[in-house]
Amino acid sequence: MGALMVIFSLQKDQRRKRTDSVEDELELSAVRHRPEGLEQLEALTRFNRKELQILYRGFKNECPSGVVNEDTFKDIYSQFFPQGDASTYAHFLFNAFDTDKDGSVSFEDFVMGLSILLRGSVQEKLNWAFNLYDINKDGYITKEEMLDIMKAIYDMMGKCTYPLLKDDTPRQHVEIFFQKMDKNKDGVVTMDEFIDCCQNDENIMRSMQLFDNVI
Amino acid sequence: MAAGVAAWLPFARAAAIGWMPVASAPMPTPPPDNRRKQDGLILLNVSGQKFQTWRNTLERYPDTLLGSTEREFFFHEETNEYFFDRDPDIFRHILNFYRTGKLHYPRQECISAYDEELAFFGIIPEIIGDCCYEEYKDRRRENQERIQDDEDSENQNDMVPPDMTFRETMWRAFENPHTSTMALVFYYVTGFFIAVSVMANVVETVPCGTLPNRVKQVSCGERYALAFFCLDTACVMIFTVEYLLRLMAAPSRWNFIKSVMSVIDVVAIMPYYIGLVMTDNEDVSGAFVTLRVFRVFRIFKFSRHSAGLRILGYTLKSCASELGFLLFSLTMAIIIFATVMFYAEKGSSASKFTSIPAAFWYTIVTMTTLGYGDMVPKTIVGKIVGSVCSLSGVLVIALPVPVIVSNFSRIYHQSQRADKRRAQKKTKLGRIAARKSGGTSAYLQYKSNGLLSDLIDEASKAAGQALVCKANPMFDTHHNHLLHCLEKTTNHEFVDEQTFETSLLEVSMVKHPPHSPSLSSGSSSQGLSCCSRRNKRKSFNVPNSNMTGGHRNSIQELSTIHIRERPITNSRSSLNAKFEETVPLNCKQPYITAAVITLPTPPVTTPEDDGSASSPDYSQANIVRVSAL
Repeated sequence: MGALMVIFSLQKDQRRKRTDSVEDELELSAVRHRPEGLEQLEALTRFNRKELQILYRGFKNECPSGVVNEDTFKDIYSQFFPQGDASTYAHFLFNAFDTDKDGSVSFEDFVMGLSILLRGSVQEKLNWAFNLYDINKDGYITKEEMLDIMKAIYDMMGKCTYPLLKDDTPRQHVEIFFQKMDKNKDGVVTMDEFIDCCQNDENIMRSMQLFDNVI
Repeated sequence: MAAGVAAWLPFARAAAIGWMPVASAPMPTPPPDNRRKQDGLILLNVSGQKFQTWRNTLERYPDTLLGSTEREFFFHEETNEYFFDRDPDIFRHILNFYRTGKLHYPRQECISAYDEELAFFGIIPEIIGDCCYEEYKDRRRENQERIQDDEDSENQNDMVPPDMTFRETMWRAFENPHTSTMALVFYYVTGFFIAVSVMANVVETVPCGTLPNRVKQVSCGERYALAFFCLDTACVMIFTVEYLLRLMAAPSRWNFIKSVMSVIDVVAIMPYYIGLVMTDNEDVSGAFVTLRVFRVFRIFKFSRHSAGLRILGYTLKSCASELGFLLFSLTMAIIIFATVMFYAEKGSSASKFTSIPAAFWYTIVTMTTLGYGDMVPKTIVGKIVGSVCSLSGVLVIALPVPVIVSNFSRIYHQSQRADKRRAQKKTKLGRIAARKSGGTSAYLQYKSNGLLSDLIDEASKAAGQALVCKANPMFDTHHNHLLHCLEKTTNHEFVDEQTFETSLLEVSMVKHPPHSPSLSSGSSSQGLSCCSRRNKRKSFNVPNSNMTGGHRNSIQELSTIHIRERPITNSRSSLNAKFEETVPLNCKQPYITAAVITLPTPPVTTPEDDGSASSPDYSQANIVRVSAL
């Protein structure tokens, strides 16, 4: 009777050891990324040393391995929008930040994106926004792409809104956007149309400067 | 909000630039960023042990002592450091919480000391990470139980509070015999009579010699029938009196009647009374004899006197499924072997195995290794089967018993732990969800504080009137500004659950005319004014407000019912009045049942012009608008 129990427990241990070794292997192959030196980053971005230090400390604290993968990114971004579902928009944001398309945002990607957003010229910011909307990066924003983005933004609001969010609210918003931006009415918005139109719009120009003092 | 996430707020705000080109309304101005000073090191001196960390690290949690301005109280000018006269060992864990975002519980620390430190530094224990949470809760529970036990035993040694009613005193005496001498006497007397009654039941069946004119032995019960009857009567009377007294004293009679002990009491005394009623009728004397068997249940009354019996009963009850399994496997084996035995012994002459059920008895006796010998196989096949039966009997019985024992202890501890974890998880998630919704409600609170930059003057007046304006920490200000930008981008607003529910109901009552895109620009400007007007609104307004004037009146009439309590004396119009002119509920009017109650709004001129006078007058509570829900 006791022998049976002992044999049983031995088998369980063996199985556990086997799974442990598999997990260990996975751990070792996890990505560990070290960023470029401070001087190089200073040259690449418009942040000074102190700002880079602060940014890196925050970045490394949240992602000790040095890179953010999409799930962590979505988690972090969702924490700022508890009422709605920020994962779709976070996905688009992730693609906008992940300039080298390797599936993870390293500190360089992160800080270069921030440099454009916070210290870039208006042209560069608009460029960045255009890139965000242009999901397949073909140089044109189609209505479908804009609709995806719009739905993602509205998803972040959640359902408890005033006035009530109707199903075609994003679509209407896209219509307004295209009416404003699509000068030659060809159904797509090119980079030039976008930048021209934004530069002529007071509100947009003003709002672009909104977050300049963030860091 | 989690620790390091605060560090990502600048990133989230920067990413908000992605909303700018599609925003349908201009953005609010950002809050002033007066944190221009560089991030510096802070020196924390805790009872001589020095800790250093970045100022930003501490400010990740602005609702704790170290993260808020409360730490300035501990600033020591002479040494230019923050001095805390607390335990440095536990402080190490608290500081690690700021650094990593996870709070751990050190196993070697005393639980109450740890709790005190957490309370001092303003950290709720629910934040403790999963790795240490169970241990923490276990230790805390043990500690509380110990304190509770100490308190209880203290209470029992105290004097009886003088204002207890007689009924309560009696109940207390019954439940805790050692509280008073009377109770102790009662306890021992009942115990004695239970023992006497059981002994009498036993002795009554002992053969007591022969009567002078009879040959057969008679039992003592028949010989001294009167004596035994008197003894039985006395015992039953005592038990009846005891039961009635308990019933009278019980705080909840229904619960008392349902309890196991009272059922045992009833079953113990019923046979006597039934016997009294039924003595004359000879036909039911057989049933009467059966009833006497129930008298043995009196022995269970001892469980009030013995904790061990109670524990045994609880054990059996909790182990029921294992016992059931044992029974089931035994039954299976019995049926199998009985069948085989029957067919094996069918051939032999004068076989005792007359049928399969008859063979059951043999199988049971053999499997439990009793082996009475009243039935034995005679054929060779029968003997082989018999030996296999006894061997397998040993296995079948020996196997489940240790499993039952270990199962019992494992399941017992496991279920306790599972319940613990479930309850802990529920409260933990509840508090975390409360903080999460606190985040959204914090934003709504922020809005209703009127801190939106559009109409600062009116808002500050209103805020000064009603709400206490608390200084939001910088993180919250920036976060709220971010959420505000999102609202402006989508031209929709965040509202809380209940207003959303009411709006759903109202929408289902009223049919909306279809929105055309051309209206939306108009509605967006109204949205602005709606927002500002609604600075202090706590409830929801009719969703029709977004429509232009033409539709408004008709639908307004459909959807609102006015209860006019007193004659209108001011210039407020009735049916065409806009939603912002509702007034707070006046307590002196008890017959109002308002479904929608709004607070007074700051005097803002409305862009709508449909001829209705819109000068709100708060001093007189006249009309309370009730929405048709």
